[in-house]
Amino acid sequence: MIELKVNGKAHQLDADPDMPLLWAIRDLVGLTGTKYGCGVAACGACTVHVDGMPVRACVTPLESVAGMAVTTIEGLGGDHPVQKAWEEMQVPQCGYCQSGQIMSAVALLAETPKPTDADIDSAMDGNLCRCGTYPRIRAAIKRAAGAA
Amino acid sequence: MDTHMMPSPATALDLSRRAILAGMGGLAIAVSLPARAQQGASPVPATNAAAAGANAQGGMLTAYVVVKPDSKIVMISPTTEMGQGSQTAHAAIIADELGVDIASVTVETAIPADAYRWGGSMGSGGSWGVRRWSAHLHRAAAQAREMLVQAAAARWKVDPASVTLADGRLSSGKNSLPIGEVAADAAKLTPPENPTLRDRTTFRYVGHKVPRLDIPAKVRGQQVYSLDFRLPGMLYACARLNPVFHGDIARFDEAPALAVKGVKKVVKVKDGVAVLADTVWAAIKGADALTVTLAPSPQDKISSTALAAMMREGLGAAQAAPSKNNGDVDAAFKAAAKTVTADYAVPYISHAPMETWSSTALFKDGKLEIWAPTQVQDRSLRTAAATAGIANEAVTLHTLSLGGGFGRRLVDDGVPGSVQCAMAMPGTPVKFFWRREDEMERGYYRPAQMARLTGALDAKGNLTGLAIRTTGPSMRREFLPGSLKDGELDGSSVQDLTDLRYGLPNYRLDYAMRHVAVTAAPWRAVGATQNAFFLECFIDELAAAAGKDPVAFRRELLKDDARALKVVETAAAKGNWGAKLPPGHAQGFAYFASFNALSAHVVEASIVDGVPKVHKVTAVLDCGSVVLPDGARSQMEGGVIMSLSTALFEAVTVLDGKAEQRNFDSYRLMRISEAPAVDVHFIESGESLGGVGEPGLPPTTPALVNALSTALGRRIRSLPVVEALQA
Repeated sequence: MIELKVNGKAHQLDADPDMPLLWAIRDLVGLTGTKYGCGVAACGACTVHVDGMPVRACVTPLESVAGMAVTTIEGLGGDHPVQKAWEEMQVPQCGYCQSGQIMSAVALLAETPKPTDADIDSAMDGNLCRCGTYPRIRAAIKRAAGAA
Repeated sequence: MDTHMMPSPATALDLSRRAILAGMGGLAIAVSLPARAQQGASPVPATNAAAAGANAQGGMLTAYVVVKPDSKIVMISPTTEMGQGSQTAHAAIIADELGVDIASVTVETAIPADAYRWGGSMGSGGSWGVRRWSAHLHRAAAQAREMLVQAAAARWKVDPASVTLADGRLSSGKNSLPIGEVAADAAKLTPPENPTLRDRTTFRYVGHKVPRLDIPAKVRGQQVYSLDFRLPGMLYACARLNPVFHGDIARFDEAPALAVKGVKKVVKVKDGVAVLADTVWAAIKGADALTVTLAPSPQDKISSTALAAMMREGLGAAQAAPSKNNGDVDAAFKAAAKTVTADYAVPYISHAPMETWSSTALFKDGKLEIWAPTQVQDRSLRTAAATAGIANEAVTLHTLSLGGGFGRRLVDDGVPGSVQCAMAMPGTPVKFFWRREDEMERGYYRPAQMARLTGALDAKGNLTGLAIRTTGPSMRREFLPGSLKDGELDGSSVQDLTDLRYGLPNYRLDYAMRHVAVTAAPWRAVGATQNAFFLECFIDELAAAAGKDPVAFRRELLKDDARALKVVETAAAKGNWGAKLPPGHAQGFAYFASFNALSAHVVEASIVDGVPKVHKVTAVLDCGSVVLPDGARSQMEGGVIMSLSTALFEAVTVLDGKAEQRNFDSYRLMRISEAPAVDVHFIESGESLGGVGEPGLPPTTPALVNALSTALGRRIRSLPVVEALQA
């Protein structure tokens, strides 16, 4: 049994220690907001927070985060300033990458409340968006920073 | 439409679609359609509830409009939502035409039925989602409004002419009630043939900023994509496919897979094997544990290098399939003061939607139910039925929201595996999925292509003749197998070059097919993407040879076309064409018409230490009229960035019949640090509705390459740019 704390709730999981955190969150905990995109930490769709730090859940073995606090998109609560900014700026198109984008943006703003364009580039460059919503992502981060 | 684009009868395509596609500049997104639609049936679907098939429900007034007893509206949309916003546009049309608050409208994607089949088939592509359905949905909602009015008038025993519908309430004098109270009565009435449409000036949503209905769920992780969709007792099936295009697996040993905890079964599927397990991770481990022997195939020897040699031969080959031959091009070349010729090339590119393929199927009591993220409902349904060996009528297909389409889900290649897994486990739902490597390797790319362009200039620098030869693999031959033979014309290979708005009295266009069996499909804006690159970069070369400014040169070519001139002049003005720029920066311009819309862009870019950088894009679109301005703006921004990404970075190369790029670590997409600001402007010309999702892409690549060529001081004629700069 591996203990996993997700969005403040403890789960005892009967799982392979090498199961990636992504699949544990989705299939064992049952939260599907975190997405699979590449499986090799090359797209950022699976970004979650572990003890507040953004990580790629698709390459993070479950045992390496045992007992640590995991936050997923569902853990933001829905009315987080970043989620509100994303809605106000009408950021998503297909939306598939946006959970990961939002989690990266939340981590950025926690560390750097007033990010420059360079800060945004640096923090968000690992999150791919095929629909090309980057200009709106940038605008939404600035909006959330202004509201914070 | 060229007769060459007509599908052969053997492919069971709907020939009636020719009428719809006529004049669309050789639009190639033709979805395969049911055979029964060939018999001269009207392409426009019936709107009555009887045509709604399995979508029929209480309070359905027309096939698209359901009014619930609590006055909430359910809009049944005929299109797939993949982020392009069509379903919000449909809801806006229904809300305005009916007279209700859009907040009371929810949208469901239709289960395939006649009301949702345009020209006999249900599907989403070709930027048709709003322009094709707009007038039809206005009428269907107006029918529903008049049925509600009639029902209220009957209840109150008043003249229907005295009844109005606004904000979800029917009123006549002192009478007033919410629409839900008479919905059941109204549903018994026959829709009027010629309902009165509301005046556009009264609309609150159409033409105004409307928040997209799908966005709240998407920012909360609540949108259910295919991999998220669950059924009780469902198993996950991970594919292990032959990476060679069209290749299959000769044999496999299932024992190592079955030894993995959680694995339940191993099933042979199309082009590979699938491992069924109780979690995704167990299925992946099982698939990796399998030992498989690939079946040899004729594709094993295909390589990009060999294909390039074939295409170079095709550029000058004597034989080619003609598309246009206006005037006397050869005489124009003989009389020319100057001739210019240049060869261009584009590689295979991947759609690379962020969501990889998956679909869920349940086979039970001889019937199949499937939940799929598809752009082609009927094609998928028929493929599912054929795979299962059951009648089409025994299949129910539900459409899930797509994590990106871009044309990739116009192909049904993932459907058979899903059905084969379900057939092997009757009564158990199975979700069959591909990993990123399968999604990328199995192709259905925009095909590699080359072009040779030759232009004749007179002594005054006027373009007096133009010849374009395109050559390369046929997209259509892979997308619709059996549809074309060697040497025939693939309309997508000359798409939107056929009826140029440029005044060209002497113009020849042909295509030399040089086919290899690398899977290919329509890629967002299809052939227009590479053809605009070929033409609009060459136009800059001609302008330079004529000693003219690129915008001035295009204005001369469009001098008799007021609509196109306005697009070009608006882009030049909004993009500050000719303005003083920072050192090292250069501007590039391009104009192109596709999907019944006109578009022109100005790109400002530079090259620093060999690295291209895009600073700004000004994009102009005239699509007749804009239904959802912010949604259209979003589509233009995204389309520009997707096109920049392909031009700068993207290529799939083939070696030994396999893609050399398997994941995002080797297939490079544009990142946020590389994405410029995109300034979008619309022109409301009032012409017939054009597309929005695609026509912004084609001018982007040539405008970028024209800017970079100026910055570099030499012409870039092959993509991606990052590789051309190293050459």
